[in-house]
Amino acid sequence: MFEICADPRSLEGLTWLSCYLTTPKHSAMYFSILTVLGMLLAVVPPILMLGFAGALARRSKIAPIRWFGLGYTSIVRGVPDIVFFLFFPIALDQAVEYIRHKIKCSDVLEPIYQGNDFVVCQAAKMPLGTSDQFYHEAWGFSLAVITFAIVFGAFTANTLHGALNAVPKGQLETARAFGMSERQTFWRVHMPQMWVYALPGLSNLWMILIKATPLLFLLGVKDIVYWAKELGSMKTQVYAYAHPDWRVWYFLALLVFYLFLTWISQRVFDRIFARASRGMAVAT
Amino acid sequence: MTDTAATPVIELRNIHKSYGDLEVIKGVDLTAHKGDVIALIGSSGSGKSTLLRCVNLLETAQQGDIVIGGEPVTWDRDDANRQPKDADQVRRFRTNLSMVFQQFNLWSHLSVLQNVIEAPVTVLGREKAEATKLGQALLDKVGIGDKADMYPSQLSGGQQQRAAIARALAMEPSAMLFDEPTSALDPETEAEVVTVIRDLAAEGRTMLLVTHDMKMARDVANHVIFLHQGVIEEQGTPDEVFNQTKSTRLQQFLSSTH
Repeated sequence: MFEICADPRSLEGLTWLSCYLTTPKHSAMYFSILTVLGMLLAVVPPILMLGFAGALARRSKIAPIRWFGLGYTSIVRGVPDIVFFLFFPIALDQAVEYIRHKIKCSDVLEPIYQGNDFVVCQAAKMPLGTSDQFYHEAWGFSLAVITFAIVFGAFTANTLHGALNAVPKGQLETARAFGMSERQTFWRVHMPQMWVYALPGLSNLWMILIKATPLLFLLGVKDIVYWAKELGSMKTQVYAYAHPDWRVWYFLALLVFYLFLTWISQRVFDRIFARASRGMAVAT
Repeated sequence: MTDTAATPVIELRNIHKSYGDLEVIKGVDLTAHKGDVIALIGSSGSGKSTLLRCVNLLETAQQGDIVIGGEPVTWDRDDANRQPKDADQVRRFRTNLSMVFQQFNLWSHLSVLQNVIEAPVTVLGREKAEATKLGQALLDKVGIGDKADMYPSQLSGGQQQRAAIARALAMEPSAMLFDEPTSALDPETEAEVVTVIRDLAAEGRTMLLVTHDMKMARDVANHVIFLHQGVIEEQGTPDEVFNQTKSTRLQQFLSSTH
């Protein structure tokens, strides 16, 4: 990266280290931190949307919607996360390519399922084989976000469902007794009071979500755990920067990184909780 | 009762209410004119709270007519599964009959003043500044003007109930429904609330008052109804009901409450 780094073998001590830590490979690792943080931020809105949709579906007066909500939360919560992370991106990827194949290559007569192979025409590939590397990564990232959203949305739905039920009935009845419509009752009383019951569960889910980000690797996104393992393992003389097995140091850095992330999160949640519980008869 | 020529504020005719096979109200009539304070007394399970909740449609009476200010509640059908037909009418009636609950039921996420202005602003569409001015004046009136910015959980029971009364007054209702307003209070704070209710009665407000407190019923009401197992066993002026008691059941009830 720097001029002085041109010949790594001539370097020593801190100079060597500063050059070593700024190699393109390390830049990829630093970038993967942003990938993890970006994924965490990108996944929150869909998680909350699915969570509210699931929770409200379970409270619906219409039975099929209620069954759908219950089915969604029960199925996702009942399947090991890893199975879901392995199954869903492949299923989603194939579903999209299958549909694109049917639309774009209706003239192709060969079946899509040829023995053990899943074959779609080139034009149906997602993203296209000719696309930029960026699109491939963005597609992988999107699949990861959707998968995380579906899994954590189900848990969130369950938490929100419980929280909505925990609001004392008298509070809602009073709103109706003062002439509020169902909509006003929901937005003016039910929702504001629900958070104090939901936040402990939601903060738990957020921590679990942070700690589940290494699963990104299962989805083909190179995250920091992948890079720590990759860069930390022993480098022989073939590499410019040869070093012994340093994985323990890389993993130690990860440990600090995740602890810092969860510590900051806990502080933020404490503040939100203090705000949501103003006036509410709960221990703070 | 006074002013019989005018349209009654609340009129109930032959009200029946059941929970499953259990019939808790078996044909009750009640008329409240402007300025009437009607006390509903009776032992637990006599149906008095249920009757009150039928008036503002928190409970659905399976049979009978409910007429508010001359306008009858419209029903979607004519059998025991009937529900009020017109949601707008239900909301309009409820804003006109504000309720004070036994457990106060102040909204715990709002300050005392916010509790008072919430429904006037969101339901009646009042200007917030105007509602705040009225709300503060009402809190002053019930003697807790200095607690406006506190949360309900920071107040004593008596203060909470007075705040709840201010909240009900802020709707400028044509009648107020009190559901055992002093039953959850200790004797000291109870007196504060009784004083407020007595003042409101003296102002000529129309009130239905479900209570276990015979002294309050005697002091405040101009008409007392004794309910027993879902029917009106005896009714009349406080003097008639308490001093010239006719039915043995009421005599038994009154002697048991002293």
